[in-house]
Amino acid sequence: MSYRKIGDSDLFFNTVEAHPYVEFFINDGNVFYNTQPRHLGHRNTGSGPPTVTAVSSGFLSLYEYNIDRPFKGENRAIPHKKNTYLEEKASYDAVDKPINFLQDNNRIYAWISKDSSRTAPKTLTRTDFGGGFQNGEVITFDYPLSASITREYTGSSYTSTASYNSHYVALRNRLNFYGIRSPHYLVDSPYGNKDGRPINIISIPSIFYGSKIRPGTVSLKWYFTGTLAAELRDENRNGELIQMSATDNGVNGPQHSASVAGVVLYEEGIILLTGSWGINNKLCRLVEALGSDVRPAWIYFGAGCNDSLKQSSTGMNNTFTSASFGISFEGQTQTQVMTMFAHARRGEANYSNNPTFLKKGQTRALYTSSHVYQEDPTILIANTVSSSLVDYTASFKRQVYISRVAMYDHNRNMLGLATLATPVLKEEDRSYAFKLKMDI
Amino acid sequence: MPLNYEPLDINTDVTTTRTLLHEVIPLSGTIVSGTYSDNNIKNYTHGMFQSVYDYPYLSSSANHIFDITMGFTAAATVSGRGLTLSASCAASGVQNSKKLNTYTQFAQTLLGYKNSAGNEVEIFESDTDISDDTNQMTSCYFITLSRLIMKEQIKKGSFSMTIGTGSFASGLATTGSSGTSLNKAMAVVLHDVSASAGTSGEFKSGLPGGDYGILYVSGASPVTASGVIFYQAGVVVLSSSFMANPYNITGAAFTGAPYWKVGATNMNVQSTFITASMSGACDALRRRIRNISFNNTTEINSKIYFCRVPHNKYNYSANPTYTKDSKIQVKDLASDPPLSYITTVGLYNSSNELLAVAKVSEPLKKDPTNELTLRVRLDY
Repeated sequence: MSYRKIGDSDLFFNTVEAHPYVEFFINDGNVFYNTQPRHLGHRNTGSGPPTVTAVSSGFLSLYEYNIDRPFKGENRAIPHKKNTYLEEKASYDAVDKPINFLQDNNRIYAWISKDSSRTAPKTLTRTDFGGGFQNGEVITFDYPLSASITREYTGSSYTSTASYNSHYVALRNRLNFYGIRSPHYLVDSPYGNKDGRPINIISIPSIFYGSKIRPGTVSLKWYFTGTLAAELRDENRNGELIQMSATDNGVNGPQHSASVAGVVLYEEGIILLTGSWGINNKLCRLVEALGSDVRPAWIYFGAGCNDSLKQSSTGMNNTFTSASFGISFEGQTQTQVMTMFAHARRGEANYSNNPTFLKKGQTRALYTSSHVYQEDPTILIANTVSSSLVDYTASFKRQVYISRVAMYDHNRNMLGLATLATPVLKEEDRSYAFKLKMDI
Repeated sequence: MPLNYEPLDINTDVTTTRTLLHEVIPLSGTIVSGTYSDNNIKNYTHGMFQSVYDYPYLSSSANHIFDITMGFTAAATVSGRGLTLSASCAASGVQNSKKLNTYTQFAQTLLGYKNSAGNEVEIFESDTDISDDTNQMTSCYFITLSRLIMKEQIKKGSFSMTIGTGSFASGLATTGSSGTSLNKAMAVVLHDVSASAGTSGEFKSGLPGGDYGILYVSGASPVTASGVIFYQAGVVVLSSSFMANPYNITGAAFTGAPYWKVGATNMNVQSTFITASMSGACDALRRRIRNISFNNTTEINSKIYFCRVPHNKYNYSANPTYTKDSKIQVKDLASDPPLSYITTVGLYNSSNELLAVAKVSEPLKKDPTNELTLRVRLDY
């Protein structure tokens, strides 16, 4: 096998920017991600979400480890002990010895030993870490780690330093920072003051979009009894969410087409809605605390999106199911890609070490001893040239089929292997360049 | 842009640590042996191994958990016959050369060569001295765990595997037909209990395949080893002898020839190695696995920078909001001592280029009466 050096012009790096399309649909406390239905588990039918990924619909499982695994505590210790888990644990507890073994619960989960490095899961409070575990004891944390969008409605965003919504307050500086894009971002602008007003915050974890939400692709759709009532889009790509249409605004209320109902913080994955006008003249129960029906408005958009609201919640009624919501946008991911060209030039790469390359039944070694190994120079190559005629063997030509391209380092250690979908016929008078791409 | 920079002393202000993060990996037998009607078992046209997934492999949710295969050496013998396993397989079995090649390839990769000439591959042994040619395991099953679940390596001393060694009607039984305890272990636990990490652990280092430990039969008398596990390579080598006889655990002797099902045929393990296809032999073992569990390991390397804030520095801020109307906002009286709130630590290179920033969860009050040491940790 011969090696060929990758030349300067055969290797380059670039960035591939992708825009994954993301869509959520929300109705009656159920969230659906990219129109995926809820996949019920075959084995996982019990505690927690009884789904294949062990997370509810609308959620992503970070590592997708515990696929279709029921959470079921076994009385078995890991590592293996002669006694059962409970017996072993009782014997450790009796002498106040740190428990350094685990219980098999049929699921993969992570653990760490408490030591002086003070490394611990983020979910553990400082108090629990300090008082709840001895040095050498195992601290466990469960999988799956999951993420989904959440919606938070606050009737009073910021009234004083004693009464405020902390999530909104955390965004105030950022909103003023983006005021250069559009005055609609500003906390206090000619369009009103966001402090003290009802605010609707929709948070989108970055796992759904990558580095940022792609400007100009955000669409929020409000469906009432299954019919599109109104839509918001950021068509100006400056973060303003502009109402595109409303089914009966012209008849029953002020026309709010082209009104700005909120803003998008693209980099942070936050949608902040302030539009409080009625989209139509219907009524439905959208806010638990109010205890009465309200006109559909953008500040109520996404009700039921992981905010614990559903028709059966206390204070809600069956009109809640009339409202359903669609959120769609494109993300933006950037992947560094290494591209290599491997050349099989004319007159090169025309031999194969595959044993079937030579005609069958020939003796390869002409002479062999402790000092000499001599191959037969007259050994014949198998003729693989195809003929379209029956009972006729085509004339011999040197040709090989290239099925793989391997990459080696300076020491000739193989680093990677690219396999072709179908072998490529390489004739002696032909040149090929194979393009190999690898995400890095 | 900071007003001034505080140099880090490489000897006193910077240190490195390593934290080991582990995961418990239980692989219950129902995943391995047929919950999904073998839709989670991928067989290949070459027939040399099969892949086991935790869910039907046509689903994008499925994770590859391990591959399983088998093989033997040319010298592996058959009790009661004059021929070797290989010769018997060549005469009346299938895939003889593939079984030989599989064993040799695993041995070559994990153990290396016997001599400096490099023309004879070592043979697996169920002890920690690979050169003494005792306790050789000449016919073996190989279970190669997926990198996804074993991560950087398997934690020493954490591996166990429960496996049924009884005859086909009672492969995993623990009680007899009358409800009395059997005097032989049908379901045995193989584990590397003595291989805990450290100098006292019973494991072997320095082989091409990395460290390996011995898999003992739990509670067996006399002490019985029936395989080895390679921690970094994630390969379990299981001697076919585990099915030669059920292990005598409670003292009473047992003689017999345990059979298992290979397809619709009852075979003992020797016949399986000779006459069964590799995938058929793997099926037979797979259906005897009740449980596999181990802990994996991921190393988290960290560099810790102790960023010291002296009492007489960093009591002022360059933040534009720090002053308003010619007055420092966080001070009530002009005569009050200087005061600032630290929110961010920036790490700069020697050219004063910002490389990384660390944020504190809440601003820290800094005035000339206190000194702070901020511990900035960088994981990689």
